[in-house]
Amino acid sequence: MTVKAYELRRQVARSTSKHRWGPGLGKLALWAFLIGMAAALLFPIVIAFLGSFKSNAELTAGATFLPSEWHFSNYGEVWEQAHFSTYTWNSAFISVFSTIGTLLIASLAAYAVDRMDFLGKKTYVILQSATMFISIGAVVLRPQFELMVNLGLHTSLWSVILILISGHASTFFILLSFMKGIPKDLDESAMIDGCSRLWTYSRIILPLLAPGLGVAGLFAFRHAWNEYILPLVFTMSQPNLQVLTVGLAGLRYGISSAAQTHYMMAGACLSILPLLLAYVLANKSFMQMTAGSVKG
Amino acid sequence: MHQIKRKLPGFWFTLPSLTLTVVLGVYPILWAMRFMFFDYQGFGAERFVGFANFDRLFSDREFGTSVANTFVYAGGKLALTLPLSLLLAVLLNRAFRGRNLLRAIYFLPTIISASVMSIVFFILFNSYNGVINQFLLKLGVIDDSIAWLGPDKAMLTAILIAVWGAVGNYMLLFIAGLQGIPADVYESASLDGANGAQKFWFITIPMLGPVLQMVMMLAIINSLKGYESIMVLTEGGPIGKTEVMFLYVYKLFFPISTSGSSDVQQIGYGSAVGFATAVIVGVVTLVYFAASKRLNRLY
Amino acid sequence: MKKSALLAMGLALALGATACGGDNETSKESAESSGGAKTGEKIKISYWTIDRHDADYIKQVVDEFNATNTDNIEVEYVVKADDYAQALDLAFTAKQAPDVFRAKEGTIQTYYKKGYMAPLDDYMTEEQKKEFQAIPDLNQFDGKIYSFPNYGSTMRLVYNKDLFAKAGIANPPTTLAELVEDAKKLTEAGKDIGAYGFALPFKNAGSAWNRSARVIAELSGYGGFGFDFKTARYDFSGFKEIAKAFKQMVDDGSTLPGMEALDIDPLRAQFAEGKIGMYLSYSSEPGVYKTQFPAKIDWAAAQAPTIDGTVKGASGFLGGQWLAINANSEHKDAAWKFVNYMYGNEILKEYQEKGYGISMVADIISSAEKPDINGIEGFMPSKYDGVWPVQPTVTVEGSKAEDAFWKYILVGGDLDQIVGDLNDRYNSALDKAIADGDVTIEPDPDFDSTKLAGAFAE
Repeated sequence: MTVKAYELRRQVARSTSKHRWGPGLGKLALWAFLIGMAAALLFPIVIAFLGSFKSNAELTAGATFLPSEWHFSNYGEVWEQAHFSTYTWNSAFISVFSTIGTLLIASLAAYAVDRMDFLGKKTYVILQSATMFISIGAVVLRPQFELMVNLGLHTSLWSVILILISGHASTFFILLSFMKGIPKDLDESAMIDGCSRLWTYSRIILPLLAPGLGVAGLFAFRHAWNEYILPLVFTMSQPNLQVLTVGLAGLRYGISSAAQTHYMMAGACLSILPLLLAYVLANKSFMQMTAGSVKG
Repeated sequence: MHQIKRKLPGFWFTLPSLTLTVVLGVYPILWAMRFMFFDYQGFGAERFVGFANFDRLFSDREFGTSVANTFVYAGGKLALTLPLSLLLAVLLNRAFRGRNLLRAIYFLPTIISASVMSIVFFILFNSYNGVINQFLLKLGVIDDSIAWLGPDKAMLTAILIAVWGAVGNYMLLFIAGLQGIPADVYESASLDGANGAQKFWFITIPMLGPVLQMVMMLAIINSLKGYESIMVLTEGGPIGKTEVMFLYVYKLFFPISTSGSSDVQQIGYGSAVGFATAVIVGVVTLVYFAASKRLNRLY
Repeated sequence: MKKSALLAMGLALALGATACGGDNETSKESAESSGGAKTGEKIKISYWTIDRHDADYIKQVVDEFNATNTDNIEVEYVVKADDYAQALDLAFTAKQAPDVFRAKEGTIQTYYKKGYMAPLDDYMTEEQKKEFQAIPDLNQFDGKIYSFPNYGSTMRLVYNKDLFAKAGIANPPTTLAELVEDAKKLTEAGKDIGAYGFALPFKNAGSAWNRSARVIAELSGYGGFGFDFKTARYDFSGFKEIAKAFKQMVDDGSTLPGMEALDIDPLRAQFAEGKIGMYLSYSSEPGVYKTQFPAKIDWAAAQAPTIDGTVKGASGFLGGQWLAINANSEHKDAAWKFVNYMYGNEILKEYQEKGYGISMVADIISSAEKPDINGIEGFMPSKYDGVWPVQPTVTVEGSKAEDAFWKYILVGGDLDQIVGDLNDRYNSALDKAIADGDVTIEPDPDFDSTKLAGAFAE
């Protein structure tokens, strides 16, 4: 078929595709559905946002949508009195370091698995896959905790960070698939020139892996930021190490707990904020990452 | 000698990963596999009891209920999420004004932590002063508060929350999969007179096959394992109605005590239960594998 | 080549180690070496408690200690909420436990078994030995004392006087039947403001059951946790009528909707708002309604109802312990100095006078004035309050009694069968504990709970 004919056929198909959604009524129904879904998904977030500016009395008593007065001070109070400044710092600390650690370790391993042959390579890959599927739940927390006590790491957040990094299997597979897209000739030419494997890895491959690292990093960061049960158990006895998720849940048991619903809303918004920001700026990457895992 | 030397660097590169995985991932599992034959309360003596923990497991009604609850929860979540996200993916697959905004909105819930989300939902759904009930009462839609977290509806509420948080994620996975289907296939089908529904059933679903399989497997495993949002929302629900098996295990290790008592941890029994839950998830996964292989042959 | 990788990680670790979380203090082990403190360097000890009704007062007291003590001790006062038990357990596992912590009558036996507490006998002065009673199983184990009494808690029916007046009920209920009746009337009267007759914090069945059904049972002559001291066996049949009454209230719609998701603090908040007619709880409530959730309604406390209106037992007066010292603490001497200060007569007197608790120490009872806080009159010990012996702790398989009864209350069932099943399971757990040597208990055929009563009456 000539190019023009193909184009014509496409045009016909496209015009047909508009009619594929049927008469106006069908289209209206679909739009109603899409907007309805969007509203349903946004509703709790909007309520939390608006609620964070209400006074506690208004939240617990009234059924107003918009706050009658905007109490911006709620955020200030939550930050100071409810120690959210500490929690935010702790969350940032574990998220940043566990992301760096995960990316480092997973990329090293992905590089090796893709480019090199070594003893036990197959076993290693099987092991990584296995960790993704085999889970005995909260049981692991106890031995991990005892291990950290023996290592003396339980008094800092490094225990949490190390455990988060140990869950790098999914990052490993993602980076592996990105790694496969980097031509192997680059390695070979570098090695012929006498560069060591490590040099090749750090100077040549890593920069090329940057998009993959960025996207995987975003996910590792999100995972660490949103983690609840792990930091809960590890920081239950050390309130100043607690992270946002734990601190927020702890508000329910605060000294005047039920009286702090507005703080809980403000706290929830604070917890979401950094990721939300990252999401708004980089949402294509988030989506690409999720999509990428399908191809992997 | 030279060969081994060439094989070494790869080993070093994977060593950190291997070390962490073995120490923090494999060792705890071995630890549990030892303790499931013991009776240990977290302090004092560790008594070897052989298979006593497993005897107890088989007659444990609460455990049985938690397994049933897990399947209800996972099943409900998947039954609602997958079709919904597939539908959204299909609808949002072709470009139109506002599509990217909609996609961004649908994906938004997935970046929020399950625990944070559950706290907000608790504030919304609790029946003694929840926001939703107040709205409904004010609008006159209902006369009495609905017991969203009561014994009848708690599981449904938990499932709805799970669906809320998962739809965007699976939608994107499906969109990626859909993008792997060449447009020409649809076009030739249109030219042959196929309508939307027919195209969906005879082109989309079959060609989405491998992606569907993988997504479903991930979805099944994640749904069976999920307990964080339930823990924050209901702590296992009124009278155990939302107690899923992974939460049951958690409580054996970290009992949620009341203000005036100190509960005893049941580490030996908890390890046995944890092992059992892993086996159950494993069995489900294998069954799924077998079933999807057979489906593959059909298609 | 592994060098650079290691170097990078080492750098990261070093950076991280210096930036370990907000005002996090590194573990006490490294702060000061064991033994005496260097001059100018404070000995830091921590004190954890679950009591929050007295938080304001205790903070004041601790601050004063920190400012005036001559031993350079600084106490960190931490109030925990319902995660206290878990947090304490984890802290002990991590060897991060506080130096001083609160032990309650329901937890001190377990703490003793777990080896958390240091014996205080060597620290006690002669006066203290006379002043503070040693009560076996409540603060004394194996002949050694691990804590002293401070205040005791009585349990009462807490009710909303305004709503009672509105409903035309003259007196709070004294029988289960009246309880159910009154709850209905209160709900009727409260319709326009969305108030209901009865509520309990059933999000955690134990929290609800052990402050309500327990005291009703105890007053009626049954062990509050289902243990029969006469036969040294478990028998939950005493709870049947109570469970039926609670169920009736739920069926009548007299209970606050959403009770199943209610924790004690949210319940108190609702009560303070006037949404609940009555509930049962401990004598910490006056403090709660003064500072934590200032009550907007007029309320009072009355003796809990009994099953049939006659008192055949004693209303539990809980206490006998307060502060304990961590057996593994590196600063036991400093901890003792703080504990000694806290048990000083002025503080104990003020504690009672300000209404945070009812003293159990004879000297204080005789010398302190009546507490001045709204609502405390109803909680003062009467001739019907008494200290019950402690039942053995057993690890039961399957659901606990409070969960089983709560389930019955919500969805019904065969009560006889439920009670029979509970008896079987609890008694087999008891037998196992006896066989393992964890528990030793003999039947006491002369046991009569009415004799327990009246020791603390004015």
